[in-house]
Amino acid sequence: MWELVARSLEASTIFLFAALGELIDQRSGVLNVGLEGLMLFGGTAAFITAQTTGSHALGFLAGLALGGLLGLGHGFFSITLRGDQVVSGMGLWILSFGLTTYLGSPYTGPLGLGRIPSLWGLSPFFPLGVALVAITWLLLFRTGLGLAIRSAGENPAAAEASGIPVTSIRFLCVTLGGMLAGLSGATYTLSYNPVWNYNFLMGWGFVSLALVFFSMWNPWILLAGASLFGIMWQLSLSPELILPGVLSRYVWRTVPFAITIPILCIISTPWFRTRWGLAKPEALGRPYAKG
Amino acid sequence: MRLGRYELTLEPRPAPPAIFTALTAVVAILLALALSSFLFLSSHTRLIDAYRAVFSYAFFNPHGVLATVHRSIYLLFCTYAFLVPFRAGLWNIGLPGQVYAGGLAAFAVPFVLRAHDPQTLPLPPGLLIVLMIAAAAAAGAATGGFAGVLRAKLQVNEILVTMMLNSILFWLVAYMIKEGGPFMSATGEGESFGLPSSLHAPLLLGVPVTAALALGVAVLLDLLFAKTALGYRIRAFGENPAAARYGGIIPVALSLLVFLLGGAFAALAGYHYFAAVPGVYKIPGNYGYYGDLGFYGIIAALIARGSSLGAVPIVVLFAGLSVGARFAQGELRLPFGVDYALLGLLMMTFVASHVLYHFRFAWRRIPSEALQSVPTELPEG
Repeated sequence: MWELVARSLEASTIFLFAALGELIDQRSGVLNVGLEGLMLFGGTAAFITAQTTGSHALGFLAGLALGGLLGLGHGFFSITLRGDQVVSGMGLWILSFGLTTYLGSPYTGPLGLGRIPSLWGLSPFFPLGVALVAITWLLLFRTGLGLAIRSAGENPAAAEASGIPVTSIRFLCVTLGGMLAGLSGATYTLSYNPVWNYNFLMGWGFVSLALVFFSMWNPWILLAGASLFGIMWQLSLSPELILPGVLSRYVWRTVPFAITIPILCIISTPWFRTRWGLAKPEALGRPYAKG
Repeated sequence: MRLGRYELTLEPRPAPPAIFTALTAVVAILLALALSSFLFLSSHTRLIDAYRAVFSYAFFNPHGVLATVHRSIYLLFCTYAFLVPFRAGLWNIGLPGQVYAGGLAAFAVPFVLRAHDPQTLPLPPGLLIVLMIAAAAAAGAATGGFAGVLRAKLQVNEILVTMMLNSILFWLVAYMIKEGGPFMSATGEGESFGLPSSLHAPLLLGVPVTAALALGVAVLLDLLFAKTALGYRIRAFGENPAAARYGGIIPVALSLLVFLLGGAFAALAGYHYFAAVPGVYKIPGNYGYYGDLGFYGIIAALIARGSSLGAVPIVVLFAGLSVGARFAQGELRLPFGVDYALLGLLMMTFVASHVLYHFRFAWRRIPSEALQSVPTELPEG
């Protein structure tokens, strides 16, 4: 039982890292729908680096670096050029999907390094995730920088007028967000499931993106949502633990995705949106033109 | 950026001329091809040989040409499936899911009517084929329309919903054709039962009838957007939803309509691939590969900037490239996924060309007054 819980929590850290990065992005007003692409690239870079150098640490660094770099690229397009953020995000995703399939395929198979040591069977990434949630919450709601980030996402013109460098703040956030997405991908390929195969994420990134909307942009609610989805994901992989012999295992695999849709609907109802509207960054997805 | 007496800035282009649209598309594709040279560098083959292998197989080898034609039809339907909602400003990335829905519905017709045994056809085969196509289109429309309704009624993000539907339908197909699922083949090899030969889509000059359908739709869609009130409404809604609403356009009906159409087109791609391509006529175990290939439809529609006729040559080129790249991959012993890598590169050059389409680099001479240096010596006194 503990094993299942520990494994679920490890799965949830992958959702959590990526979604936390996206949350910081969105709080500053930048929407990155290419989250899955950043994770694919981060995960593949981490896997290839770790396998060639034999070092987990270098792998994680590669994942972080590439994630940050791609986040920066998204920032260049959406902040500097004020392009359509959805076009850029979707572009990043398809670019990653295509290139990682090609670059990773010679490495198809297990990582072949020792497992990352666990604490009483629990992956060390879960406590790291909880710590990151606490840090993000403190950063966003208890520091001047956090106030600057939130105001850049709510009303960039007013923020700029009060002396906040909106462009730099947004660049900082997309880079941080990209690094966290890269970390999430690296955690997947180096720890959770250290095997590279074609399109290994199969929708984790999009579920993480949905989680940010569910969280009402609050890191603590995000933690709860990610944990819930981690458990659900793990159960969908081994349904025999609760309902042995009921339905095909393939049908169970659809459950986490199928549940996401009604939740998305509920949070979009006018009844819910009266609450939601208050939390959604006002300037989300809108480019900011100084002047 | 300042360079001496000149300043380099990026400024918005007011209204790019039509020729410019075509030019950016050509540049984006050529640039992606140039970048893909890097993929071939690892193969220890001369670059020119690699390209020759790709193009000669795709467009001159008899097998390759047929494969290119079949794939073009598939990708054309995928392109329309993305293009129609995109003209209304909505992103249908549920192409794989809608393709699977179409395939499942098409195979459900012979399954339900017990027609998968060639001896016991309950209805004339022609009627059954029409039924299969209609069922596929209806299932795809329902899958797409679901996302459209949620978008219209509740403002639920259509990217997320269609992506979730992709995963759901992917696993549903696995359930139907694998491990004793209802559609599993008698040999139990993790693929669906094969269609009896009387239910294969008829061929016209060696090409499935779906080809005529795909080309006809290309003409009709461009006419729809250029000449009809409905097309105008869709475009207006895509350009500015708020203004469209003031103009009396009903967002709910429109979002639903474009997604119904989009889903139906993707499902026809599914029908074409699983039930009309000679040599297939079943849902193969690697159906996921064909589903994901549908993403080429996104990039084709984007590069064609929403013109369905404009998309035809682009799609034929992409189909040839992906068929040829797959062939060259075996021939030149390249890693798996050259075709997907090309897809990624095309997306990258498209986003870059998108910038050049909307912006231009401007060299400006900085007025000499602005450059005048501050006197270095203090005035007397």
